[in-house]
Amino acid sequence: MNTKEPKVEGRLQALLAEFDSVGALVTAAERVRDAGYTRWDTHSPFPVHGIDQAMGVRRTRLPWLVFIFGLIGCATGLLLQWWTNATGALDFGWLPTFLQGYDFLISGKPRFSLPANIPVIFEVTVLFAALATFLGMLAMNSLPWHHNRLFGSARFKRVTADRFFVCIDAADPKFDAQGTAQLLAALGPTHVEPLADLPSPARWPHGLVVAGMVIASLALLPPLFAAKARLSKSPLPRIQPIQDMGNQERYKTQQANFAFADTRAMRPQVPGTIARGDPLDDPHFYEGKVDGQWVKTFPPQVQVTQSSVRRGQQRFNIYCSPCHGLGGAGDGIVSARALRLDTPGWVQPTALVGDLVRDRENGNIFNTITHGLRTMPPYGDQIPPADRWAIIAYIRALQLSQSVQRADVPRDQWPEER
Amino acid sequence: MASTVGEIDNTLDIPGQRAPLVLGGHDFTSVTDTVSAVWEARRPPRAWYIAFAIAVTLLAVLGAMIGYLVFNGVGVWGLNIPNGWGFDITNFVFWVGIGHAGTLISAILFLFRQKWRTGINRFAEAMTIFAVMCAGMFPAIHVGRIWLLYWVFPIPNQMAMWPNFRSPLLWDVFAVSTYMLVSLLFWYTGMIPDLATFRDRATSKWKYYVYGLLALGWTGSSRHWHRFERAYLILAALATPLVLSVHSVVSFDFAVSQLPGWHTTIFPPYFVAGAIFGGFAMVLTLAIPARSLFGLKALITPRHIDNMCKVLLLTGLMVAYAYGMEFFTSWYSGNPHESFISRARALGPYAWAYWTMIACNVVIPQLLWFRRVRTNAWGAFAVAMAVNVGMWFERFVIIVTSLSQDFLPSSWGIFIPTWVDLLTLAGSFGLFFTLFLLFCRYLPLVAMAEVKTVMPQATLTHAATPHPHEHVPSKRAFDYNPDEYEAHKRKKP
Amino acid sequence: MTTTVDSSTDSRPLSGTWPARSAAGLLALAGLVASVLLGWRQGDWSVFFRSYILNYCFVLSLALGGLFFVMLQHLTRAGWSVALRRLAEFVAATIPVLAILFLPLLIPVLTGMAGVYIWTNPDAVQHDPVLQGKAAYLNAPFFIVRCAFYFALWTLLARYFLKRSLQQDATGDPALTLRMQWWSAPGMLLYALTTTFFAIDVLMSLNPHWYSTIWGVYFFSGNVVGFFALLAVLAYLLQRAGRLTQSVTVEHYHDVGKLAFAFVVFWAYIAFSQYMLIWYGNIPEETVWFRPRQGDTWWVGVSLLLLFGHFVAPFLALISRYPKRRKAPLALAAVWLLFMHWLDLYYLVGPQPAAPGQTIAALHATDVTLFIGLGGLFAFVLLRLMSRYTLLPARDPRLAESLAFENV
Repeated sequence: MNTKEPKVEGRLQALLAEFDSVGALVTAAERVRDAGYTRWDTHSPFPVHGIDQAMGVRRTRLPWLVFIFGLIGCATGLLLQWWTNATGALDFGWLPTFLQGYDFLISGKPRFSLPANIPVIFEVTVLFAALATFLGMLAMNSLPWHHNRLFGSARFKRVTADRFFVCIDAADPKFDAQGTAQLLAALGPTHVEPLADLPSPARWPHGLVVAGMVIASLALLPPLFAAKARLSKSPLPRIQPIQDMGNQERYKTQQANFAFADTRAMRPQVPGTIARGDPLDDPHFYEGKVDGQWVKTFPPQVQVTQSSVRRGQQRFNIYCSPCHGLGGAGDGIVSARALRLDTPGWVQPTALVGDLVRDRENGNIFNTITHGLRTMPPYGDQIPPADRWAIIAYIRALQLSQSVQRADVPRDQWPEER
Repeated sequence: MASTVGEIDNTLDIPGQRAPLVLGGHDFTSVTDTVSAVWEARRPPRAWYIAFAIAVTLLAVLGAMIGYLVFNGVGVWGLNIPNGWGFDITNFVFWVGIGHAGTLISAILFLFRQKWRTGINRFAEAMTIFAVMCAGMFPAIHVGRIWLLYWVFPIPNQMAMWPNFRSPLLWDVFAVSTYMLVSLLFWYTGMIPDLATFRDRATSKWKYYVYGLLALGWTGSSRHWHRFERAYLILAALATPLVLSVHSVVSFDFAVSQLPGWHTTIFPPYFVAGAIFGGFAMVLTLAIPARSLFGLKALITPRHIDNMCKVLLLTGLMVAYAYGMEFFTSWYSGNPHESFISRARALGPYAWAYWTMIACNVVIPQLLWFRRVRTNAWGAFAVAMAVNVGMWFERFVIIVTSLSQDFLPSSWGIFIPTWVDLLTLAGSFGLFFTLFLLFCRYLPLVAMAEVKTVMPQATLTHAATPHPHEHVPSKRAFDYNPDEYEAHKRKKP
Repeated sequence: MTTTVDSSTDSRPLSGTWPARSAAGLLALAGLVASVLLGWRQGDWSVFFRSYILNYCFVLSLALGGLFFVMLQHLTRAGWSVALRRLAEFVAATIPVLAILFLPLLIPVLTGMAGVYIWTNPDAVQHDPVLQGKAAYLNAPFFIVRCAFYFALWTLLARYFLKRSLQQDATGDPALTLRMQWWSAPGMLLYALTTTFFAIDVLMSLNPHWYSTIWGVYFFSGNVVGFFALLAVLAYLLQRAGRLTQSVTVEHYHDVGKLAFAFVVFWAYIAFSQYMLIWYGNIPEETVWFRPRQGDTWWVGVSLLLLFGHFVAPFLALISRYPKRRKAPLALAAVWLLFMHWLDLYYLVGPQPAAPGQTIAALHATDVTLFIGLGGLFAFVLLRLMSRYTLLPARDPRLAESLAFENV
């Protein structure tokens, strides 16, 4: 083993000793540690059990970093969901619209519903913690580091296969080229070599640099286009790379369609079609009007019988009672809830058994059911005309029931007297 | 380089001694050489080319099918009302389940100090990533307007819209993308030292720079190793609950609904067990041919296969337990819809799928109780193949039977896959195997640095006095003698 | 660390435990007598029996956790745990005694006490079509047959593993290890099924309308948390008593702490899975179980205490390496976890369905007196086992590994 002061091209940077077994490395590490060196390291193909104690490496603080980032992730997940789905009631008008949250009401769940938020909170926590682990480990290890004087040693290539190294930096206060070399030689290495600065930092291959630059410039293009599109206006319709529902295939007015015998894409109307808004052929039945006046009677095709009133009762209970109440007093469950919640602008529905409606013409009531009134929506598209008339018949029956005289009820239908 | 070994049976137990995990008289040099040889060989084995050709063809089919789908819309699949989900989500759950074994091996077995994981963890992790890629593809393409997929992320946008955070489908987005990223980090972190090995063995400038870039300037410094090990441990500790959460969230997709057969509380752990079951089957499916093809029998030993088979049996029993509990509870609940769906599965229009699932997931894995099946690589392979099939059918049964026969008989409907469905499924295997075969060729297939830590030479006192940590004296590890086991067995109390 | 242990002193059976044993025995007697008197005074024995179920499940769950641990260690050929395994074997070996203590529970089942198991009451079943539908499973004879099977099986398993392990102490035969390993696999399978159905029979059928497929797993997860807590406490106390000082190292505490931590998280995961799915599905048949538990201040408090005390606090306390490697803090956390496990079972047994016009106290005196009674009895049996047998499987072939391992 050569114990003379090592010869080296350029300034001596470090001494590198090679070992061929774990035991030799750990023993060597203990000796170097005991000799009081501080700027030195060992290198091995795998983590050697016990080397930390042998070198006196302090336990890393990485777990703390991870814990802190985990907490940040936890808070981020929580705030993200609260902000985006539950902050409608808060006034953040000073924020741009696209940053504001709103109330996202869905499936009857509370806006801020912790059980449903746990999965995302958990995932974001893990994401932050894992990124902190990886990046923190690299940062604490000062990696990536593409240029390293160790790479100048041909023997050092075996550090990732089957050899173990001790490397003492020349900047160590205890370093002394000859003495340190002697120390290393005494540890039973298979080889000791000096390390100098690499003559010049390793250069990237030309092709790799060019490829990197091309990719980087190409990567800039999409954001540039996006920025341009954001800031400029164009009279042209937007480009649709894939045909969307907004721009789907269809026949235009005068085109031919050979699916039909007459090859016309535009189909003739079904006989009896009435254009929207055109007068219907039976204004009494369909509009409740005769000569522009509300009718007071039922149209001739509507027979007011017990069965039609029952039909009206059934329809009434489905469509009308939620607001107007089962008895027509204007106290339905919707209204009751709205009043209980003090809903602003809520007007109690009209009492159908009151004088106002009692004096209203049948035709007018028909019109109200068909087209709606104030906050009442139109029901013309849900209730066929005959049923509307049946409902009116039932409303009349309800009105009668509110001001009934004993004499009005046949004797045999009197309730049992108590 | 050590001679390649045939099968040495290291599955026998000698209590008090740990069987060697690396056979064939390997040392650090020969392990490095063996693993690197796959990458350094001028040409991969002929079988690799054949497999690659098939995989790339299927990948092309997948591309064509996705193009066809995007162009025409999801109507090209067999979906209908009520079967709004069919092959798409079945495939998603199938692949994401397979993606669980890698993390299980790397993370959970690591935390349990199961040293045998070192032989198989690298490619199990790779498999995880490729499986998650296949999985992520299906929800992405099933949305119809794929180009609007970014709506699932909470990105501030001109429509001032946010995603609905109370939807399990959005939890899926977070769970699967987090899982993908963390698995990637975990895989890559573990691979850095091995990439450095490839860098140091590079024969061309290009290889040197590409692998040098990927290795991030790793020098094997002990100070780095210290933080590296801690980081690896933390990543394992994070990945363990993560892997449970991912398939639990996938199960929430179904279980938060009120549909009979979907809404049941055992779904989260049941899905996790099923995922690990299916994933381990896929690991075995890949490991058994790969070890033969690439000469890795000394590193992926019969004991590895034996252990994996035991995990397969265990998780298979867990899955069977969940089937049983669901079946029992559907009766016990007294809810007619619940008991109906149990009957419908076993006797309804999809009974053939149900009984395929039972046969492959419950009956056939019972063969693994027999040591002879576990220690016979191709026996294990056959069982694993059955489980692969069975676990696909499990997802199909869960999704399609529940959807096709829900509450109202008037709204029932049968799902029949179209040729696009079938070819997309086949194509997803193309994507998976293409990536996997490329990985085998260009990246370290076995975690060399980790394998070295479980070799007897890695102990401090190797070749000196036997160390208390390892009760197998180093030489013994190499010529492990099954006869000794028999001798032990014969000694009766 | 030496790889051999002087078993003659360090792990010999406890001696001079008669003061502790008589204290435990007296406590048990006092607790049981007081409970019976309280039950007598209350007149309504259903309160007594619900308290009995709670505290019985508590001690039994620890024993079942022990049995699980023993079989798991054999199944996985674990080396690290050998130094602690005998303690788990002791805990599991209390099962034969606990089987006898199960007998009082047959009284409400056979007498059809509606306040305990309503499905045993013919009048109630007659007016309840749901219970009629379940009568094929929920009926007294079948219940008794099932429970007899569970206890027979557990007794068999617990005795088998203790006996073989003790036999190995004498002979040192490594083949015994292999035989125990062989039996642990079918044992584990049967254990999973019996524990599940025990949980369904004894705890879930308190609300016979309600059902949850995850119930068995939930019960199991709590048992294991409780057992690991008990293991840490036992090891700590034994070392204080001058035993196992050479064999049980800080590494063992670290591992027990890690496993306790893991199962605390697992418990939270299972509890969350059950709660979230029922909360989200919001089906009245299922939410009926959670309604009374979120109905009044007391039970909301219990629920929140479980959330924070059974998950958040131990999670934060045990996540760091530091407390797991310190005996006293770990033992403290373990005692807290034991209390939380008891509270978890208290939550599972839940509020008694109140009869009209009757107010039910949230915590009954018998909940506490029976805890003292059954807990004392459990401690008594454990002490008896520990003063009878060696505390360490001294000739287990993997003991050396257990003594030497280190956590990275």
